[in-house]
Amino acid sequence: MKKTFFIWVSMLVLAVIASVAGTTYFLRSSMKERLIISTTTSLYETDLLKAVETEFEAKYPIDLNFISVGTGIAIEHAQRGDADLILVHSPTDELGFLTGGTGINRKIIAYNFFAIVGPETDPAKIQGMTTLQALSRIVESSRNGTAKWVSRGDNSGTHAKEKSLWKDAGFNLTTLSKESWYINSGSGMGETLKKTDYFSAYTLADMGTYLKYQKDGLISLKVLVEQGKDLLNVYSAIAVNQTLHPNVNFGGAMTFIKFLISDKGQQIIEHYGEDQYGQSLFYPAVHLLKENTDPTIAQWIREYAFFNGTECPPEYRKGYAELYD
Amino acid sequence: MHPALGNEIIDGFLKALQLIFSGDPTVVEISVRSILISSSATMLSVLWGLPVAAILGLKRFRGRFVAKGFFHAMLGIPTVALGLVLYLFFSNAGPIGFLHWLYSPTAMIIGQAILITPITVSFITSAIESVDPEIKDLAKTLGASETEASIAVLKESMSGVVLAITASFNRAIAELGVVLMVGGNIAGLTSVLTTTIALETNKGNIELSIALAIILLLIVSALSISINLIQRRRT
Amino acid sequence: MKTILELENISKFYENITALDLVNLNVLEGEVLSLLGPNGSGKTTLLRIMAGIEKPTSGKMRFKGVRVDEGDACQVRLRTTMVFQKTALFNTSVYKNIAYGLQLRECSKRETDEKVKEVLKTVRLEGYEKRQAKKLSGGEQQRVALARALAIDTDVLLLDEPTANIDPKNVSIIEEVLSWVNKEKKTTMVIATHNMFQAEALANRAALLIEGRIVKVGSPQEIFALPSKLLASYAKLENVFSGISKSTGEGTSIVDVGDGLQIEAAFDITGNTTVFVRPEDIILSTNPIVSSARNVFEGQIAEISDLGAIVKLRVKAGRDFTVQITKRSFNDMQLNIDSKVFLAFKASSVQMV
Repeated sequence: MKKTFFIWVSMLVLAVIASVAGTTYFLRSSMKERLIISTTTSLYETDLLKAVETEFEAKYPIDLNFISVGTGIAIEHAQRGDADLILVHSPTDELGFLTGGTGINRKIIAYNFFAIVGPETDPAKIQGMTTLQALSRIVESSRNGTAKWVSRGDNSGTHAKEKSLWKDAGFNLTTLSKESWYINSGSGMGETLKKTDYFSAYTLADMGTYLKYQKDGLISLKVLVEQGKDLLNVYSAIAVNQTLHPNVNFGGAMTFIKFLISDKGQQIIEHYGEDQYGQSLFYPAVHLLKENTDPTIAQWIREYAFFNGTECPPEYRKGYAELYD
Repeated sequence: MHPALGNEIIDGFLKALQLIFSGDPTVVEISVRSILISSSATMLSVLWGLPVAAILGLKRFRGRFVAKGFFHAMLGIPTVALGLVLYLFFSNAGPIGFLHWLYSPTAMIIGQAILITPITVSFITSAIESVDPEIKDLAKTLGASETEASIAVLKESMSGVVLAITASFNRAIAELGVVLMVGGNIAGLTSVLTTTIALETNKGNIELSIALAIILLLIVSALSISINLIQRRRT
Repeated sequence: MKTILELENISKFYENITALDLVNLNVLEGEVLSLLGPNGSGKTTLLRIMAGIEKPTSGKMRFKGVRVDEGDACQVRLRTTMVFQKTALFNTSVYKNIAYGLQLRECSKRETDEKVKEVLKTVRLEGYEKRQAKKLSGGEQQRVALARALAIDTDVLLLDEPTANIDPKNVSIIEEVLSWVNKEKKTTMVIATHNMFQAEALANRAALLIEGRIVKVGSPQEIFALPSKLLASYAKLENVFSGISKSTGEGTSIVDVGDGLQIEAAFDITGNTTVFVRPEDIILSTNPIVSSARNVFEGQIAEISDLGAIVKLRVKAGRDFTVQITKRSFNDMQLNIDSKVFLAFKASSVQMV
């Protein structure tokens, strides 16, 4: 009796292990090489990366895995060696990432602008003002109870931008954020926009995400303050240092970076959204910087997102000299 | 502002049904992955949970009370908390990072298995304990050895074991925190019903989210109903 | 006759309770030994030790001459089996229940099928193989438990109050089966019972256990000859009365048991005595009874217990009497609580405790 029982049990155990192993194998991506990219939410939620992925995977046998988290978390992932590459848009944080030693071979790939968006009725009447003026007006109106502000509150690139703008406008963010009209979204750009819409508030948004959500009918906010140097939004790609994290797919990361800055990659960025939204959501940066096609903006980018006069100081480069002039 | 809320929901609902019945590939892919991952997790948790529960239920040893208490306490563990801990473990900077299981279905299966083990163990232990204590002696008096008698008790608790499996699977397939943190919700690789519902709603894919929510409910209901029917027919 | 089971100074202690105290008992091969004693006297514990599912705190036990109290009582468990008072069945079919013991002993499917059929026939439940064991009536369940025990052909069969809480029809079937098994298969049996009539009918010997000690071993008649109210209380006799008996000089006596009740008994005794009357020997009627019965009393029904085929009544007639009638009679007479009834029983039905 005991014998038959144990035979049954062993068979069952084997069956379980076999099916679990089989399932794992089945669900796993193909034997292709894998590239893990932690990215800012604005690039992901606009589906730009989906377009990039389609083209890239058609050309290269690399499986792209995007994890949409926000600049702050993306950098953290990379610090732990959990990402091979990050796509972010916060120069201050990026510098720290490079100087810390984990980030190498930074390339600026695209740019667009932030904007202050708000309800159509514009209760604080900020339309047409400069950025800093608008922010002051918003604070005033909010304290009067006629307006509200939604902040990303998630250590993302957009949040970093917002924080620096508040600082430039002369506000102490620690005390400001505690005021009742200041709402911390704690989530990505898309979710933040929806919350802003819901509360009929103002917020700082990148144009890419805004346009997509606006055109998709998910929000009915208006752009009230746009353009201008202080609203510049620059996206870069940074690879993870293989010496520090031997397991990262450095080769794959560089292949991807090279693709992004290639004519094809830049083309995808330039035209993404044209058909659906009537205008592009992002602008390609490589050609602009190299040939100085728009000197004003090129200069803005250099002042805002360059370190020591270059997008990637030589001490943070590893091979691939052809990427930098 | 928005169109009447009612319209949106009904619209979404109808489009969702359309997605389901047309066999939309994304919907199918995500559903299949959810079921496979949670089933595997359930099987694993029963594999290691059943022996543990058998010992807890049948043997009297010192510390038994503490052990049972531990599993009861872990019943309510918040999924995000567990997800975070597991992420730190699977992370390349973590102790088992060398396995490179982060952001893969493997990590999700293991993570969910760990999450539901307290359910499996607690339920099965309970089922064993509610078996008439005389059964063990009865088996022995019919000639059974200690092991054989324990097996007889286990057999008597079968319906409780089935309940444990159902409850475990339901918890697994419906949880978000663990699969999100260790899986990363990577499209085409680690996105499952719950992660997609939570995050795609943001992207405005309301119909997809509703479709997946309906499917999730259907899966859970179908399982419970079929288990019920099978048990009814046996007794 | 040879001794098959030998218990030497067996004691069993739990925390602060002494269940068995220096029990010395020999069970002879092929006999039917009845264990008598009140609730809590240790009968169940003793049976469990004999069955090998409980270990004595001290003492020695020998099965067929071999020491079995040390280590795992494996041998004992394979050659003895026990039927519990509260029927314990597996939650599955009758067949699977009975087959369990056979499968433990690695019998082939064919052998198992045959054996199951054979024992079901013995307990008169032919064709019940596929029925769900737990869905049968109480009596049928106990018969299945008995069949299960018989199927494994053990040397010793231990039964703990096998017919307590079973309806009379099933009780008689079980008693007949036990008789038959002992006669035909020569199976040794130890039966714990409250029912002295059962003990008398089935057993060759009886052992009286009181508070964990064996008080007397002998034939059932010898045990019942013991003068004591103690015997009455645990023999679960009904209608027991104590009083002063006065001989009538005509071979009978009148026993004054108090409360104005005088019972005429067909024996000649003077002095303190305890008597009882079996419920079945009492005739009940709603009309005054005209018969040769010497004891006729009028009373009122105080309690009705429906046991299925029979109905037990408690009648207040000076003292409480327990009377038994068929369901049919009960319905015919349309009896209720407080109904006025007449009781009658012969002097010869009055027995001395």
